[in-house]
Amino acid sequence: MSRMIVSCVALLILAAPALALAQEQPLAQVTFAKGDEAKLIGIVKSAAAPQKDRADACRLLAVVGGKDAVAPLAALLADEKLSHMARYGLEPNPDPSVNVALRDALGKVKGLHLAGVIGSLGVRKDPQAVEPLAKLLTGQECVVKQAAARALGKIGTVDAAKSIEGALPGVDDCCKLAFCEGLLRATEGLATAGHKDAAIAICDKLSAASVPPQVRLGASKKAKALRQQPGKGL
Amino acid sequence: MSRTGPLSTTLNRRQVLRAAAAAGAASFLPTIIPARALGRDGATAPSERITMAGIGIGSRGQFDLGWMLPEKDVQFVAICDARKARREAVKRIIDQHNGNSDCQMYPEMREFLATRTDIDAVLLATGDRWHALGAILAMRSGKDVYSEKPSCMTVAEGRAVVETARRYGRIYQTGVQRLSEPHHVIAIELARQGLLGEIKTVRCHIAPWDAAEMSHAWLPAEPQPSKEVCDWDAWLGPCPWRPYNSSYVRGQWRNYYDFHTSCIGEWGAHTFAQGQAGIDASYTSGSEYHYVKNDSGDGMHVKFANGITMVLERDREKKIWHGSCGMKFEGTEGWAAAADSYSEPELSSASLLPEGKKLLAEYMERTGRPMSHVRNFFDCVKSRQQTVANPDVMHHSMSTVHAANICMWLKRDVKFDPVNEKFVNDPEADRFLVRAQREPWIY
Repeated sequence: MSRMIVSCVALLILAAPALALAQEQPLAQVTFAKGDEAKLIGIVKSAAAPQKDRADACRLLAVVGGKDAVAPLAALLADEKLSHMARYGLEPNPDPSVNVALRDALGKVKGLHLAGVIGSLGVRKDPQAVEPLAKLLTGQECVVKQAAARALGKIGTVDAAKSIEGALPGVDDCCKLAFCEGLLRATEGLATAGHKDAAIAICDKLSAASVPPQVRLGASKKAKALRQQPGKGL
Repeated sequence: MSRTGPLSTTLNRRQVLRAAAAAGAASFLPTIIPARALGRDGATAPSERITMAGIGIGSRGQFDLGWMLPEKDVQFVAICDARKARREAVKRIIDQHNGNSDCQMYPEMREFLATRTDIDAVLLATGDRWHALGAILAMRSGKDVYSEKPSCMTVAEGRAVVETARRYGRIYQTGVQRLSEPHHVIAIELARQGLLGEIKTVRCHIAPWDAAEMSHAWLPAEPQPSKEVCDWDAWLGPCPWRPYNSSYVRGQWRNYYDFHTSCIGEWGAHTFAQGQAGIDASYTSGSEYHYVKNDSGDGMHVKFANGITMVLERDREKKIWHGSCGMKFEGTEGWAAAADSYSEPELSSASLLPEGKKLLAEYMERTGRPMSHVRNFFDCVKSRQQTVANPDVMHHSMSTVHAANICMWLKRDVKFDPVNEKFVNDPEADRFLVRAQREPWIY
């Protein structure tokens, strides 16, 4: 009996942040929670809090979360029900530790959740993610390889482009379009960074390759446009 | 590059291509180019017919379908929808029009886009949450897109649509059809061409229902139907998961933050594009957004870099318009207004009307655009020219929508840099530029 009372008290303590905020205003009705970062982190950490409350806390941390929110959110990246909302909270957070947390998660999550983490690294254009993402271009399920190719393209560095190019010849048909998308994205990043010649070279290869016709068209148009731009590039 | 008008019935694509070959112009790029000749295997014979499919065709989509089906050079052959009842309903419509039972149904978009390489273009009318990703996936698969509005949920989504269309050389039209309606175009051209004097203000109608802040609540969970009946995961797409409730899929998704762009986006997707066209701001967005203490954004002043102010108007009391989705240009020498149900624009002076009609005729001659939004899309699918409501027009007007929403959510003024597409020294506002997409629905 005393063990049961202790357990109930422990549960109440864990759920306290959610209950407290719920009494002030249901989290679902809170659109912006300035100054409540610590309370929201408490809800995210609370395994006893309802899924909806934890999801709302993640949503609100997308706006107010700083460095302190990163680890609690990252801990949910492998959570079956909250992985996406953890990324929802992390992706717009400007703190550089978010990139570290997402990179760390690459070795810890699988399947769709891994594809999601990869996508977020692409959105954040983390150049330090190129090496680990390049390793995911092969030997993985399709959804992961596709995500890695697109994310590397979004990051768009010389190394990112090279990694996709290197993996393209052996890619499965189900991944070919994603790899082409990655390369076309990379050419845009390369051109912006002054690597015009490298971008043209990729486009020329793609426009003559055994790839979907819209990719050949896009690549040839891009190569033509880049050639018409002034400046030699690096 | 000059714009071409609709295809002449006496000159078809094959004749143009043969003429080009006879002229010996190896580098000649015809002004009328079959979509298939540009985007497909060269061994495939070009066709005069645009082969189309529908994606997510509900009540609004069926309205669009009603405009598109009668076009003689368009044939719908497939429907893709997460809901079985919708797939079957749209198949019946298409089959009845075609006089056969050949319309194919697809429950899942990715498989549909990958396998139907014969489809030239899609009509996308899924609801706000899917418009950007659906367009991106379709264009990446080599299809042109007519997308209903609002066509993106964030600034980042809008930019991704622009980039994808350019990346794959695709034709895209957002469904802001008033850019192809005579009374609106007359008002726009009167403003643009200086017949109203120097434009100081453009008033843009926002929806008189709902609010700028939207709900994050979940409706009560209901038993989830089988995937065949309704693929709930696909219906949600990139949005955060929530339990199934049939009200969402029956059309009650508006006013939820995850699915909708608020009362500002509901009509602003139209009216901001209309307003920005008249002040030569189609390829930019508003710079300064001044917060108003109400729940809708009614009366918000948005300043553009050219000095012109856009005023958001709910128009519940002022009666600026006697129809929906209106805009009004106010210049130093006159004003012009148009809205739905107007047969002609309302003008500060009757003498502006013949001038406006003349400008309309000149506009149509100069651009080759018919006063039919769907016809403009089909003409551009064939000519590969930009549509009137192309991705950049969509993205820049929707960015004004998004910034206005963010201003209301933050309850303070914000400044937006339309060149770098970020808020000015405002990392708090920048956090709303993107929303993490739910796997696997990530572009």
